[in-house]
Amino acid sequence: MRKMEDLISINYVKLLIIALFYTCVSCSSVEKKIYVELNDTVPCVRLLNATHQIGCQSSMSGDTGVLHVLESEEDLDWILNTGPHPPYMIVMETAFFNRSVMLRMKNSSRVSGVAVIVSKTGLAENFSPHTTCPNQNTGVYSASYGPELANCNVTAWNPLGNGLSYEDFSFPVFALKDENQTQVIRKCYEEHNLRVNGSAPQYPLCAMQLFSHMHAVTDTVTCMRRTDLQNRFSINPEVMCDPLSDFNVWSSTRPLNNSAKGHKANESVVIAATRLDGRSFFWEEAPAAEGTVSGIVTLLAAVHALQPVTQQAPPPRNIFFTFFQGEAFDYIGSSKMVYDMERNEFVIDLDNVHSMLEIGQVGLRSGRNLWMHSDPVSLTNSSVMDEVTKMTDNMQSIADGLHISLAKLNVTQPLPPSSLQRFLRVRPIPGLVLADHQTSFINRYYESVYDDAENLNVSYPPNLSPDEQLVFETEEAKSLAEVATLVARSLYKQAGGEERNLNNITADPRIVAQLLYGFLIQKNNSWFRSLLPPEVTKKGANSILSSGPPQFYIGVGPRNIGPVHSVTRFVQYIMANLTGAATNLTETQCQNPESKDLFSYFWVSGPSSVNSSGEPFCVRAPVRLAKAVSPAFERMEYGSRDYSTWTESRWKSIRARVFLVASRELEMLTLGVGVAVLLLSLMVTYFISSKADLLFSSARETPTTTY
Amino acid sequence: MNLERIPNEEKLQLCRRYYLGGFAFLPFLWLVNVMWFFKEAFLKPAYTEQPQLKSYVKKSAMGLLLWVAVLTTWITIFQHFRARWGEVGDYLSFTIPLGTA
Repeated sequence: MRKMEDLISINYVKLLIIALFYTCVSCSSVEKKIYVELNDTVPCVRLLNATHQIGCQSSMSGDTGVLHVLESEEDLDWILNTGPHPPYMIVMETAFFNRSVMLRMKNSSRVSGVAVIVSKTGLAENFSPHTTCPNQNTGVYSASYGPELANCNVTAWNPLGNGLSYEDFSFPVFALKDENQTQVIRKCYEEHNLRVNGSAPQYPLCAMQLFSHMHAVTDTVTCMRRTDLQNRFSINPEVMCDPLSDFNVWSSTRPLNNSAKGHKANESVVIAATRLDGRSFFWEEAPAAEGTVSGIVTLLAAVHALQPVTQQAPPPRNIFFTFFQGEAFDYIGSSKMVYDMERNEFVIDLDNVHSMLEIGQVGLRSGRNLWMHSDPVSLTNSSVMDEVTKMTDNMQSIADGLHISLAKLNVTQPLPPSSLQRFLRVRPIPGLVLADHQTSFINRYYESVYDDAENLNVSYPPNLSPDEQLVFETEEAKSLAEVATLVARSLYKQAGGEERNLNNITADPRIVAQLLYGFLIQKNNSWFRSLLPPEVTKKGANSILSSGPPQFYIGVGPRNIGPVHSVTRFVQYIMANLTGAATNLTETQCQNPESKDLFSYFWVSGPSSVNSSGEPFCVRAPVRLAKAVSPAFERMEYGSRDYSTWTESRWKSIRARVFLVASRELEMLTLGVGVAVLLLSLMVTYFISSKADLLFSSARETPTTTY
Repeated sequence: MNLERIPNEEKLQLCRRYYLGGFAFLPFLWLVNVMWFFKEAFLKPAYTEQPQLKSYVKKSAMGLLLWVAVLTTWITIFQHFRARWGEVGDYLSFTIPLGTA
């Protein structure tokens, strides 16, 4: 009998477990029935500097609101004033995503969040969420250096900038990229929330919930202090923000001994620089075509064009190519390199720098014009003046030979935002910035999600396969190849190379076309795959080689996306392949070479043909990465005014979902009924247990007799 | 422990121990003391140790009230001004809430 009872109790336990299991399964399916998760969304996240926080955030448990699609001014009035179901979650087309609308929402308590449909339809003539004066306070111009030029007094470089990226929103803002999901939202809205003849829609209504709760708050000083405190005292340490950081990529025509830091005797270098990053209002969504890619592509093509000549007829001076990371955020990369040069922690120091040529935005040359920008303040120094004049004259004559109209600007205009400014802060280095704009930027979509291939007019005839598109020489590719030729020849001349070799330097439009395709259209292409290490190519879509163009937001370095940012990696490997020499080292030898002083070694996949995956080999090239993190973080000066202090907040989850909500009355009624049932059952239980003797007197005796 | 079964001298001893213990910044001991011996001190028919017990309970209650007043004031001030104090506020905090000033 006892045994039987044990068995029965075991069975009960089993039943209970199964019951629990089923409840869990069914509870998840109930969740699926209620919520539609939106997967392909891009949030706006919080960034902080020494004094401010910018970006967006939701509350800890997400912000919910009744969906309303903003399609007209009338809708705006409905949302902000008359609609009976606040708070509203706004879904808007690009056309409405501008400063005035966003600020009205920011100041209203009736808005719980915004979802922007990123599409090209209804795109405004121009849209730049950046400021009118990029990197205003960390360039060279200040009260002590050309005060009349400071704060973009002479030229507002980005006059179209509306500053949205630098606003602080207390509600979440997401971008919707997937057409299907946009359709789901629209359908839900049209079925439930549409006004009929101007009267309010009836419950149940379609609602959306956005989660993007940010951990950091106020400014970098506060967040670094708190992170520090938490790590010291708390049992459960929590990092709240990370400095924006990644790597600069550099190389030189003559290898430099990387293990010896500081001044190099008998070394004089001409620096050729461009920037490696961009940004937009949304997180990790920065195509930066004109803003950054035009420069990267031009410099890489110039590096390639210079390669054979600098080997056969090396010029007396070295040419030092560098791609600066994080320039969009107060010059992170260039300020770090200059800082290291000053403290003898870099391969060369500032005494080794002869001059500098920087490539700005060069992709939108209307009428084939290019402009040379120089710094009027340092030109008052006669030796700098002489060198700059020589440089401009040389470039001018080279441009004439190429039929490019290149003009020098008069000396009253300051430099546009450029890495050269960080060098000028410490020393009057002769330098020029090459750009397609005379005064303010031609780029109408500077630092926005629309600065993409279309903005650069990179498009392909229909019916081309991806491999045909890869090598298709668009007008833009030809144009940038010309600029690259100009840059390459100017650098060679500037490095003291002989005039007669100049004609042997010509950038290959095909390389430019491939670079443009890889950086603007599809990074997962056969050419990029052949240049990258096999472990990257094998992983395919899961690695940095996912489908689509790369994004150029710097990010917080190794924490999220492998060892290095994808663009940094691409530039590093492209440069290694374009300038390096193939060696016959094996894979292990390649990864642990005898000496890394002069060269880096890269194990790359090699070109693949139709039926084979290519033969990996080892490339030796003087291409290096150098940490790009603002010196402010090394010096722990989180309130620094001289160096970038940008950090990115951490967060737990970022997601979005759509569901139907019932009216408040119905919700309250359901809750009330639930509570009533609970109370009733308590009372019944109490009553039964107090009268148990009476109720169960006979039933109790039967089982006891069986024992 | 059941107070009913303890002789009065021991009750007094116990009450005294809790009362003294409370001075070691342990207001909860006073709270326990008050709760536990309130009946003994004020509601039970008189016995020899009762006046002493009464005084311990009273003093414990006063100490407890003082603690409550001080703590309430401090917590109110701290919660209200922590964000405004900035650096000092953070140094005074053991756990810092995420995502709020």
